[in-house]
Amino acid sequence: MPDHIRSAGTDWQPVAQQGAFRQIMNCFAYPGRLGQLATEAKHGLPLLLATLVDRSNRLADPHRLLDDDEHRRLGANSGTPEMAQFVVQPGVLPPDFQPILGSLENPEQGATLIVVAERLGTGASLHLSGPGIDGTATVAVQGVDPVWWQKREQWNAGFPLGVDMIVVAERQVLALPRTTRIDLKGAN
Amino acid sequence: MNPNYELPLDEADYSFGFLDEFAKREVRRTILKAIAIPGYQTPYASREMPMGRGFGTGGLQLTLSLIGQDDTLKVIDQGSDDSVNAVNLRHFVELTCPGVDTTERTSEATLIQSRHRIPEVELSESQVLILQVPYPDPLVVIEPSEAKRKVMHGEGDYSRLLTKLYEDIVQFDEITISHRYPTRINGHYVIDPSPIPRYDIPRLHRSKALVLLGAGREKKIYAVPPYTVAAPLAFDDVPFRTEDFSDEHGARRTCGRCGADDSFLDELIADDGSKVWQCSDSDYCNQRLAEPSHEVSA
Ligand SMILES: [Zn+2]
Repeated sequence: MPDHIRSAGTDWQPVAQQGAFRQIMNCFAYPGRLGQLATEAKHGLPLLLATLVDRSNRLADPHRLLDDDEHRRLGANSGTPEMAQFVVQPGVLPPDFQPILGSLENPEQGATLIVVAERLGTGASLHLSGPGIDGTATVAVQGVDPVWWQKREQWNAGFPLGVDMIVVAERQVLALPRTTRIDLKGAN
Repeated sequence: MNPNYELPLDEADYSFGFLDEFAKREVRRTILKAIAIPGYQTPYASREMPMGRGFGTGGLQLTLSLIGQDDTLKVIDQGSDDSVNAVNLRHFVELTCPGVDTTERTSEATLIQSRHRIPEVELSESQVLILQVPYPDPLVVIEPSEAKRKVMHGEGDYSRLLTKLYEDIVQFDEITISHRYPTRINGHYVIDPSPIPRYDIPRLHRSKALVLLGAGREKKIYAVPPYTVAAPLAFDDVPFRTEDFSDEHGARRTCGRCGADDSFLDELIADDGSKVWQCSDSDYCNQRLAEPSHEVSA
């Protein structure tokens, strides 16, 4: 990640966030489908975060994909990847942390991992099944280290505990809720 | 809905969608977790609305957190667009979300907020169904402690609920639950599907549309994602059945208005005291009456 990812002014407007949320929600409802984040910025990450994160959350960005100004504007409390509700990570690096998985009583406290990839729609194919998928689905992801998928499988082994992943690349977004099974034979 | 609620005189002070952006963001985060954990009653901080809780505020907060100017909203109460509750909720959204279209036609709606029914016409992937929930937890009949219920839900342990259901069957010789039939989602969580009739339960199963359920008073949001197994609790010797609309001769009753023999029927008492049957889904009934072929065949 050579440069910080920068927001556009419109990313902070309610109408942009409403539209972004519907795209993200649709991605959660239909895992494997790509959503489009309508932003004037070069990258969808700031709009994604502005839509979901605010002062009531703890956000970890250990690789500083966003600069201090952007973080100040989001207003989230900063935390380590081991204790944050939202964790932003570059996909090219394998995960080196243990996220919150939630508890049996409160599985919603499992973290949301936001993985920044290079491209969606090209790259290694993932074969998906689970709720929201009519049979199976295939999606291609470029710039996510395969260790992510192995770790994700471990983190999600004890449903309802687990993590939910959002993969964002350029202005496209893909959701992999904890219920989505990835056939790892297809990921390389 | 409280008929005495008043919007402030200066509506311009309110943001689009009435709720402030922090409230919307919290509902939105909760929705994503609810979808990711199908059937789990995800807690959130329900906000005060200018109408009493129990009048659809849980559903309304979902609608207001989703809706944008591209949306077309339909609001129904017990299948009807014209009931006082549906009209009031629709009016509230029209006031607080300028530019949003409303409709009574199921097929035109992108968002459908409903109390007590799922529309007759199968919903599509481009629609979201929002159900208003008064009592979200099916375990409350057997366990008063919420802390204990949460453990039972987490473990997927419904043995006591099944025992209670079975005792009812032994006592009454059939499943007596007419509404809120406990339904297991994706093989784990059992939900209260809101006071929809048993007839509507199969519509949750592998629905093409996302179904969101909101309980304002209990501050819970849960979801049935699309293409997800929704299985009513049942027993080998007492299978799940939907309502029986057969008459005394065993023939399927029909709607007295449009003639439908494939819809959920409400029993009404005519002026002369006799019983008549009519589609509970008023849009379905109206659309059938409007079909050109209808007059020919009727
Ligand atoms: Zn009819």
